[in-house]
Parts: sequence; structure tokens; C-alpha cells
Amino acid sequence: MLLSAKQDWLGNIRGDILAGIVVAIALIPEAIAFSIIAGVDPKVGLYASFAIAFIIAIVGGRAGMISAATAATALLMVTLVKDFGLQYLLVATILAGILQIVAGYLNLHKFMSFVSKSVMTGFLNALAILIFMAQLPELLNVTWHVYALTAAGLGIIYLFPYLPVIGKILPSPLINIIALTALVYFLGIDVRTIGDMGDLPDTLPIFLWPDVPLNLETLAIVLPYSLSIAVVGLLESLMTANVIDELTDTQSDKKRECKGQGIANIGSGLIGGMAGCAMIGQSIINVKSGGRGRLSAMTAGVVLLILVVFLSDILKIVPMAALVAVMIMVSIGTFNWSSLKELRTNPKSASAVMIATVVVVVWTHNLAFGVFTGILIGALFMAQRLSQFMYIESNYDEATDTRSYNVVGQIFFNSSDKFISLFDYKEAVDKVVIDVHRAHFWDITAVAALDKVVIKLRREGADVSIIGLNEASETLLDKFAVHDKPEEIEKIMGGH
Amino acid sequence: MTTIDKKCILACIDGSELSDAVIEQAIWLANNSQSPIKFLHTIEHSHLSEQVHHVGTLTPNMTENLLNELTDEERTESKRLIAEGKTILTNAVLRAEQAGLTNIIAKQRHGTLSEVLHDLELEIEIVVLGATGQNHNGDKKGLGSQLEEAIRVIHQPIVIVKKPFVVPRNLMLAYNGSPTSKKAIEIIKKDLFSTQLCNIHIVSVQRNIEDAQRLVEEVETALSSFNCIVKTTALKGEPVELLTRYQQEHHIDLTMMGAFSHGKIHGFMFGSFTTQMLLDGSSNFFLLR
Repeated sequence: MLLSAKQDWLGNIRGDILAGIVVAIALIPEAIAFSIIAGVDPKVGLYASFAIAFIIAIVGGRAGMISAATAATALLMVTLVKDFGLQYLLVATILAGILQIVAGYLNLHKFMSFVSKSVMTGFLNALAILIFMAQLPELLNVTWHVYALTAAGLGIIYLFPYLPVIGKILPSPLINIIALTALVYFLGIDVRTIGDMGDLPDTLPIFLWPDVPLNLETLAIVLPYSLSIAVVGLLESLMTANVIDELTDTQSDKKRECKGQGIANIGSGLIGGMAGCAMIGQSIINVKSGGRGRLSAMTAGVVLLILVVFLSDILKIVPMAALVAVMIMVSIGTFNWSSLKELRTNPKSASAVMIATVVVVVWTHNLAFGVFTGILIGALFMAQRLSQFMYIESNYDEATDTRSYNVVGQIFFNSSDKFISLFDYKEAVDKVVIDVHRAHFWDITAVAALDKVVIKLRREGADVSIIGLNEASETLLDKFAVHDKPEEIEKIMGGH
Repeated sequence: MTTIDKKCILACIDGSELSDAVIEQAIWLANNSQSPIKFLHTIEHSHLSEQVHHVGTLTPNMTENLLNELTDEERTESKRLIAEGKTILTNAVLRAEQAGLTNIIAKQRHGTLSEVLHDLELEIEIVVLGATGQNHNGDKKGLGSQLEEAIRVIHQPIVIVKKPFVVPRNLMLAYNGSPTSKKAIEIIKKDLFSTQLCNIHIVSVQRNIEDAQRLVEEVETALSSFNCIVKTTALKGEPVELLTRYQQEHHIDLTMMGAFSHGKIHGFMFGSFTTQMLLDGSSNFFLLR
């Protein structure tokens, strides 16, 4: 353990530090933009990004992942900030952190297995759309200068990398910021700048307990926000951890990551920062820049803080258009463009789940609601499919005037109506035998359906007997672990 | 006897300087124990990419593109490492055949040495490892980067090779009365090292000489029925220093001792006796867990 910890920290020092610097530069405009989304001073997002990146480097479960202030969490704070102010946001941030730690101890990360690929794609697409929409206030009712600057900024961001040599060394988003700032400053163009959006950090952060009454009333105000932040933060963090696991072909400790996100948020709240979580885009930039260890996130946090504290006077005059250009890049980069093509090729149900997730998120501005919707719809589709795995054979024996039904397959809440409808109640027979030994009753709805069938048949005057009920109802016992063994699974898939 | 029911002598080789010695040591052990010999080469992925871009731009479909790039890069690296390993293994198998062994297995696995040893633990009778590994560029520390972790994960005896192989003439047992050093007596009795042919030095270093004396007598009694040349020495003082000096003075070829009986935290705080012995010692080691 000590050795792997050493490897995590010191296994890639040069790569991690370089990547950390690249990430820090990319984090600054995002942290400012997300502060503006949340409706707080840029310094709130910048302090948060420092605290979260720094703390998660130590306590996180996924080396190489970058966490900071994020759009996903910022979007959830808007009304809290508007109605109650910054101090309540800080309390909500700390409480969200506590909830995340609890979630970690409760192993809630295991529920990530319910989040399908379609839901994840929907999550990212919705996030991209929301980031883009958050830029619209900067682009509506403004002079043509803003459009020209934004377009120029996007041009620099996407074309600069094609320049020989320097295009491969210097981060184009940074060049965009420097170029537009210089242009606006020297030509004296009157456009909004970051300084107009609120305070920037001018000192190192200090430890502060939020100035709110600690009572139930406060709790009632912040709890719903904290819950949303905690859930969305963990969702994005665990999703990102999965992406990084896949990219780097390594494992991460998801439980530790949940707790780590919690600790990071508490730390952020205590130095006047907003809540955050892992950032998919930044984490990918980190990996692409060669960051693999814990040192890269820590470097990103420290470099970010140093840059903003010492450069706050320069940051103030950066035009918002430069920032908007960066955020449009982030939005375009976050959106899963191939998912549009896949709409035609993927199963309709998968597309429906993805689109439902996007629609609900864009509508509610809460990624958690979208994810829940996606999971729910996905589960319904799955139940629908499983209910097709059932049929009934029937035979009539003239000698004994006996109708026998042989039930095969899965009977549960969604297939029980179909089960009931497959019996012929109008047939006048003396005896009915229902053989269920190759069927599986998964829930009490299924059992009730069988009861209903028996009663209906009895009313028609038949003597009903059931064969193999014990085997069929084994699945009722909720002991799913029993079915982990191949022979048990074989029983269910192949009949008893 | 098939390879499945008989545990093997596992020789971990990576083509580094000491691999030759590891191969010879393992062949000799396999000959003595009549166990199958297995040569293991591990393919360790650095998961570090050479093609890094520091532009910090988020481009569309970046995840997929990056995943493809990294996969291609690692595939090339893996293929190269596998091919290299095959050559090393083929050479080792050839030498084992020349030495007259018949039950020879060559194995390649992905992962760090400790991961792979952990996976294979049940198949192992004795592991033979080089004290230094592949990427060892004259590091001051003198021990392979993966050695301690590897020793800690397995519970089978381990031979650490520090110098070219010779048939052991002088064998030292560093005895402190611990359960692992008692195991060593059993190993000696099994005659795994052709111990009857060599001098066995029983050395005990304790804080006071009476304890040391008592301990060496304990071993003498235990080995009394066993036909071999035993020389006992009881010493007082600092174990690592005295034991390594003894190794040099008596031209010890192989030192048997218990390893890492304390936890990692203890080792981290106080420094591990085992690590220090491996570092300073001049012989090969036979460690018991």
C-alpha cells in the first residue's frame, strides 16, 4: 500500500507537473465561468477549484482525475444563492460534503451499475447544452464587438493548434484569452470584463466558518440543495472515474473517491468556496497532457491559486467574450457528437433513454433528475423485454378430460397480466393441471396472478392442481446471491 | 507427477543482469527438490503515454480519440514486451532442458511482479527472484523497486539472488527463535540445499549473550539427529552489522532467515531488518515467511 501510494505520487513527477500546469490554466476560465453560473463572485469558484483539486489529490480514489468547481454543481446552486446568499451556499457545500462521506460509507457507489451507457451519454450531452446555455446571457443584447470577439476567440482556440511548433506547445485557450485581452485593452473596446462580474481573489484563502444561524430552519433551506449537489457531484465523479479507468487501463477506489469528494467539498466550503466534483473534460485534458498520478491534481490546484492571486489585476480586464469562447469550446468538447449519429443505429429504447435524460436535465437544470429519469425509463424497457421471456404450452387429454398447462419463463409484475391472459377460462373441462416447474415467480404480483388463475378456473368448475410450485417460487426468496453460482443460473435460464 | 498437483520452483526473470543467476539457482533447486520448474516473465505496463499534448483544448469526441490513441500505443508496447519476454523465456527453458530437467513451464503474465506472484501463490513451492530488476540503473539503494512488495505478498519461501550462482558450500542460518526461523530448520532437514554437503553456520545475535547461546543450543539439539556439519556462533550486539560481517568472514553463499515478520507500519517507522539485511548482505538469501 505504501509502495503503491508512492507510485501514485512520485511515479510520474515530470508528466504530472506539466499536465497539472496545463490543467490549472484551463481551470481558471472554467472556475470563473461556473462562479458566474452560480451567481457568486469569481473568487468563490477559484478558491473552490484550488481547495477541491488540492484535497482530492490527497484523499481521492482515482489518481489522475481532476476535480474542481463544476458546471454540474454550479447549476444546482443558482436559486439558493439568489434567495439566501453566499453564506448559505457555503453551508450547503459543507453539508453536501458530509452527505457524500456518508454515501461513501454506505457503499452507494455500487448503484452506479444502474447508470447505463445511454444515461451517461445523456448526462454529458445535457451538461454540454447547459454549459452552452449558461453563456447566452453574455451573448444576448450586446454590441457587435462581443460577437466579433467571441468568434475571434473560437477561431484562435480551434485554429491555433494547427500552427507549426508553437501550436503544439502553447494552450490555445490561453492564447485566446491573452489575445482578446490585449485587443480590448489596447483598442479600448468597451465590453464587459471579468472584473465586472465580481471580486477576484487578492489574497490566499483563509479559513472561515459560514456566517449563518445553525438551526433547523437553515438545515431545511440548504438540505434539498445539498442533497442534489451531493448526488450530482458523485454521479459526475464516478462517471469520470470510469472514463479515466478505461483510458488509463487502471483501477480506482470508488468508495474512497466518494469519501474524498465529500472531504474536498467540506474543505472548499470552509475557505469560502462553492461545491464541485470531478470534471470529465479537465480530467481528459490531464490524461492527454500526460498526467497520471496524484501530483497532477495537486499541481493544478496550487498553480491555479498562485496564478489567480498574483494575476488578479490582469484577470480583471479579461473580456467576458474570451471566457465565453472557452466555455463554448468546453461545451462542444463535452457533447458526445457520435451519439447523434448513433440515434439512427442504436435501439430505439436506448435513444429514448438518452433523449429523456437530456430533456429532463435541460428542463429542470438538475442533472440528478435527468439521470433518475433515464434509469427509470431504462429499467421499464428492461422489464418490458424480460416479460417476453414467458410462454405457456397446453395439452388436452381426452380420456381424463384434463387440460394441462405447461408454464415456461419469467413471471413478475410486468408479465403477470400476460400470464393470466394465456389461460383459456371458457373451456369446460373436468381437470386442469398447471405445471410451473419451469417457470419463475419473481415477486408477489406473480404469485397473486397464479392465485387469480386458479380461482378463475375453479369458478368454471375445474379441479385445479399445480405442479412444481416449490421450484418456481425459489426466486421469490430475494436471496439473489444464491443465483451467483453457474448451476443456479443454469436452472433459471434453462428451466429446472 | 503432473504439474497441477505438484508445486513448482518459480523463477522470475526479466532479462536483467541477475536473470542468469536466477535461472541457474532455480534449475539447481528444481533438480534437488524434483519439483517442476516454472519461468515467469511479467509484462508490466507503465500506463504512461509518450505522445502527450499540452495544448489543453477540449476537442469533439476527445475521449474516444484519446482512448484509441492510448490503446494503440499500449498495444505496440505490450507486443514488444511480450516478444522480448518470449526470447528471455525460450533461453531459460533451453538451459533447463540442457540441465536435464523435463518438467519445465514458461509463463507470461501482465501486471506488476507482486500482483502476478499473488495470483500464482498457490502454485508456488519456492520463488527465486533477483535482488535487482530491469530498470535498475546503478541505484544507490541496491534493491529492486518491486522486491519488498513482492516478498510481502507471498507466504512461500523466497530465494533472493544477489550474485552469480554457485553451489552453496557455506550456508548460514540467522536464528532468532521466531516461528519463521524454526521453519528454516525443517527446510535444512529436508535437504533441499544438499545441506549434507555443506557447512551449516547457525548464528544468533541477541541483546545478551545468554539468550543467543540458548538459541543456538536449541538449533543444535534440533539438528543433532541430522547428519551434517554444524557450526554455531552466539553473538551480542546489532544483528545486521554482525550478521553481514559473519557472511563476509565465513564466505557464506546462502543466508537463511525469516522475513518481514513485522507489519509495514513497523518497517516504515523503524526500518525493516529484512530490507537492511538484503541491502548490506553479501550472500544470496533464502527468506521464510
